[in-house]
Amino acid sequence: MAAEAIGTRSGAAGILGRVGAGVLDALQVLGEVATLFVAATRAVPRSEGDRQRLVAQLVRVGTDTLPIGALLSLFVGMVLVVQSADQLRNVSQEVLGPIVGLAMTKELGPVMMAFLLAGRAGSAMAAELGSMAVYDEVNALRTLDVDPVRFLVTPRLIAAALALPMLVLYSDFIGVVGGALVIALDPAITLSVHGYLERMLEWVDFSDVVVGLAKGFVFGIIASIVPCAFGLRTRGGAEGVARSTTAAVVWSFILILVFDFLIVRITFALT
Amino acid sequence: MTATAQAEHGVRAELAGVRKSYDGVEVLRGVDLVVEPGKLVAILGQSGTGKSVTLRQLIGLERPDAGRIVVGGIPIERYVAMDPEEKPFRIAMVFQSAALLASLTVAENVSLRLREHGHLPDREIREITRRALEQVELAGCEDKYPTELSGGMRKRAAIARALAVDPELILYDEPTADLDPILTEQIGSLIARIRETRGSTQMFVTHNVPLARAISDRIAVLDAGRIAEYVTPEELLASRHPLTREMLRAAGLH
Repeated sequence: MAAEAIGTRSGAAGILGRVGAGVLDALQVLGEVATLFVAATRAVPRSEGDRQRLVAQLVRVGTDTLPIGALLSLFVGMVLVVQSADQLRNVSQEVLGPIVGLAMTKELGPVMMAFLLAGRAGSAMAAELGSMAVYDEVNALRTLDVDPVRFLVTPRLIAAALALPMLVLYSDFIGVVGGALVIALDPAITLSVHGYLERMLEWVDFSDVVVGLAKGFVFGIIASIVPCAFGLRTRGGAEGVARSTTAAVVWSFILILVFDFLIVRITFALT
Repeated sequence: MTATAQAEHGVRAELAGVRKSYDGVEVLRGVDLVVEPGKLVAILGQSGTGKSVTLRQLIGLERPDAGRIVVGGIPIERYVAMDPEEKPFRIAMVFQSAALLASLTVAENVSLRLREHGHLPDREIREITRRALEQVELAGCEDKYPTELSGGMRKRAAIARALAVDPELILYDEPTADLDPILTEQIGSLIARIRETRGSTQMFVTHNVPLARAISDRIAVLDAGRIAEYVTPEELLASRHPLTREMLRAAGLH
């Protein structure tokens, strides 16, 4: 409202107003996400009876993501080797293993799987909860004295936080296999598969894998809590559900990258 | 069940000076309404006059900007904040869209509160669910999902979900909207039967004047965010209020 009033005075002030309103909106979204995260986490001890819903969410978030996750990781691993081998043609292809291993475990595995989860399961969460909010199903839960956060959000949060580190490990493995496939089949690459794996194991520490898993855990929280927050705040029928779903995916991607940067900075500071 | 027992099962609901605005637009402008225990009250009015909003205030889904809501002697904000196990009575609401959870079967929807809070043995929960579904003539639909039901069946399943919590106050938001005349009559009969068999206090929002006249003890006419009239079905016919006369004329009753 304030932004609109400012916008009528002059162009510069209008831009400032719009930027200000955008910042306020962003802060409101972050506040709602943080509040929902706290509420969903506090509801974890009361979720003993929700095993069935948790398993259903684990299947949706984890198991159903395996085929597309495998395809994505395989091709990324293959592309990494093809691209790197070409760049290293006149240097040494010995480092192909470390390149694929470190890239997959520390960065590509967690970020790729997080994007996949946010785009696939996260958008479904936002659409489902948005539809439930629009059609009074969330209100119906309230009138039945059932806490919507505990009933709807907590199982999704736990499932994503547990499933994403597993998906990261899975993605790391498939990516490495993809790289090995190219090395085995591409006559332009002189490095053997054995050499590729040996160099990789020399360079990739257990701590690198742990960093990837930690990223997976944090990204899993983001990729579930953000869509749930957008889903629950949905208003305005089918159009509102579409808006919430789009915003949930965009915000999830942004926050995943922001937290990726923060985790990298923190791990570099600690080592 | 005796008449005394029936009356005891319902609770008194009172709204005093209730006001509610959305985005600066005042929808409720001081609603005053008292519903005595065990009575069935219809709320009539044009679209957008705050009928559904009134029900949402009454069950505590939204907070009024001003005014007081007391149900069963307890201010609604205090009732909402109470631990579910400590609530001395229950309020149920049947939403216009039925609002059944799509991921749960009909039986799971109906038994949801009992499973979440009741601490009842599984066999007893199944028996209560069966009885609630029988009351709304949906026996045999336990394992169906809401998407497999017709509109009328979904409404009845939502009523069964309300009945399963044994409520002292039941609120219905347009329970017959989008239903054909036969289904409308069935739902109307069902609501009337609940009054006879359980004695719960009931309030329903509707545009259907003949239905309101046929089953209600009293009818509240909501006009521009205020209760314009609160009369018996007989008194409604003799009303001089312009909106009431217009609604009666549109329904072919004037």
